[in-house]
Amino acid sequence: MTAPITAGTPTGSIYDIGYRGYEGPRLGRAHAIRSLFGHSLRTAYGIGRGGRAKIAPFVLGALAILPAVAIVGVLTLAVRFGAGERIAEQSPIRYETYFSTISTIVALFCAAQAPELFGRDQRHGILSLYFARALRRSDYALARIGGFAAALLLLELVPQLVLFLGRSLLSPDILGAVRNDLPSIPPILIQGILSAGLLGGLAMAISAFTPRRAYATAGIIALFVIPGIVAGVIAGLGSSDIGNWLFLTSPSSVLDGTNAALFGAQLSSEFFFINLPDVAYFATAIAGIVGSVAITIRRFNRFTA
Amino acid sequence: MALISIRSLTKRYPGGVTALDGLTVDIERGIVGLVGSNGAGKSTLLKILLGLIDPTSGEATVFDMDVRTRGTDIRQFVGYLPEHDCLPPDASATDFVSHLALMSGLPRAAARERTAEVLRHVGLYEERYRAIGGYSTGMKQRVKLAQALVHDPRLLLLDEPTNGLDPAGRDEMLELIHRTGTEFGIATIVASHLLGEIERVCDFLVAIEGGQLLRAAPLGSFTEQTGTLAVEVEEGSEALAARLTAQGLEAIADGRAVLIALTDDRPYDIVRDTIVDLGLALVRIEQRRHKLEDLFRDMPIPPGAGATATGAGATATAGASVAEEGPR
Repeated sequence: MTAPITAGTPTGSIYDIGYRGYEGPRLGRAHAIRSLFGHSLRTAYGIGRGGRAKIAPFVLGALAILPAVAIVGVLTLAVRFGAGERIAEQSPIRYETYFSTISTIVALFCAAQAPELFGRDQRHGILSLYFARALRRSDYALARIGGFAAALLLLELVPQLVLFLGRSLLSPDILGAVRNDLPSIPPILIQGILSAGLLGGLAMAISAFTPRRAYATAGIIALFVIPGIVAGVIAGLGSSDIGNWLFLTSPSSVLDGTNAALFGAQLSSEFFFINLPDVAYFATAIAGIVGSVAITIRRFNRFTA
Repeated sequence: MALISIRSLTKRYPGGVTALDGLTVDIERGIVGLVGSNGAGKSTLLKILLGLIDPTSGEATVFDMDVRTRGTDIRQFVGYLPEHDCLPPDASATDFVSHLALMSGLPRAAARERTAEVLRHVGLYEERYRAIGGYSTGMKQRVKLAQALVHDPRLLLLDEPTNGLDPAGRDEMLELIHRTGTEFGIATIVASHLLGEIERVCDFLVAIEGGQLLRAAPLGSFTEQTGTLAVEVEEGSEALAARLTAQGLEAIADGRAVLIALTDDRPYDIVRDTIVDLGLALVRIEQRRHKLEDLFRDMPIPPGAGATATGAGATATAGASVAEEGPR
């Protein structure tokens, strides 16, 4: 033990200016929640942790932004040859397709990073230190989920921003291009919030139930993948509506539905045969968000710290 | 009003285990030892005071605030050192402690400043920038104490703070706790099953067993002299006891010792003369003191529910006497 060298020896007392109390402000619960939100957002990207913790989130972040950067690059070239507008219109990478283009990356980000937040706190017994402080258990859960959802929102919206800037700045008529793209912004924001809320909420709800990272990751992937497969098989087997409606158990199908409704476009080709009312997608997405948050709060309220 | 006021507090866990059973006691400022064997309800009591778990019935207030409804307000001013491991191996002590300071409501700059100060106070210097995973048990225990102190609490709740430490580490931890409690004047409750340690740092004792109050009183009253004289001889304690009884003393043989009831100085001379007469080898003569251990060794098995309730009422009065002598 190295401690005795430093503690209680005469050398220590030279620096010992005595204990001072703290008379400054105590900002209480709201400040604690804000701080935990920020901490969760940073931790989701491995910031404030060792270098290895940053690999997965940053690689996934780079992959998510890559299509946007690539298309902007192509546009830059095309503009030189005077084909800018045609490429911009016909590119497969547009606002309305971007969410489904990077949906796998977002799902992987969830599976890799959500267990970092809740799993670590449970694994090392840190929860009892949080619960012994100026926040409630529900505050803890909400701040963590909120921070993670914000991380997902960044993952999804930064590429859209790159796309928007590229399209606008490379256009000969910048103002006109901005005006042209403005109507796309509300759908982008709404879809981003729904997607980050649903995928983030579900991923966090699963990782709240196990301290084991591997279990949480497997559970998240299973929840994101299996319902779609099951629904696909059942829809393929029978002609009944049941298979159609079962797609609402698949988060990615639900988000595909809201995306199509928001942008007034077609469902992506693999789901061409699904024909459900738009409201069903939105209701399911919102129910999924509210439900997963409620389950997570309940979990921590019952947790014996 | 007492710092902590507990009224017929009961906690039953879903499995049917009763951790606290009608506990009533007032606790005042000072360093208070909460003693009891494993499973006596110490940890449960601390967690209820923190608002970490809800009591099944009864009342408890900390700083005059109800633990059920004012949990977040109470916890702003309470530091808690849990019994179990609670540190992430991959964070540095500085990062972790200042993060928890934010969670207690301190502004960011203050959190950083207090962290540096408090880590220095517990004796962590250069190593505070390294990951906690590489720390010794003693250093980890210091980090746990630092996180409990970082927001300058009015009340410290320490659950088995010397858990897992070697003798040197124990001494240092106890010294730290003693300094924290006396020099800084932070009210402290130390829960422990190690009576020897409690004896060294605490002014008051609250002894619980089976979720009920055994006794609450200043430490001194637990160890005051008894009216028993112990005479230890090499052999022949039976004969000595018989001779002493014949001379009108209340004496019983207890192994190599003879225990004699002491009401005045008279027995000392009789014992001396009797030992000389019998030609015994005397080892020692001493007046017995109460030991803290006696508290638990002599504990009567609770006879019935009704009698227990009366017992709890009687000891609660002892608790009130702590309240009277307590404030400093």
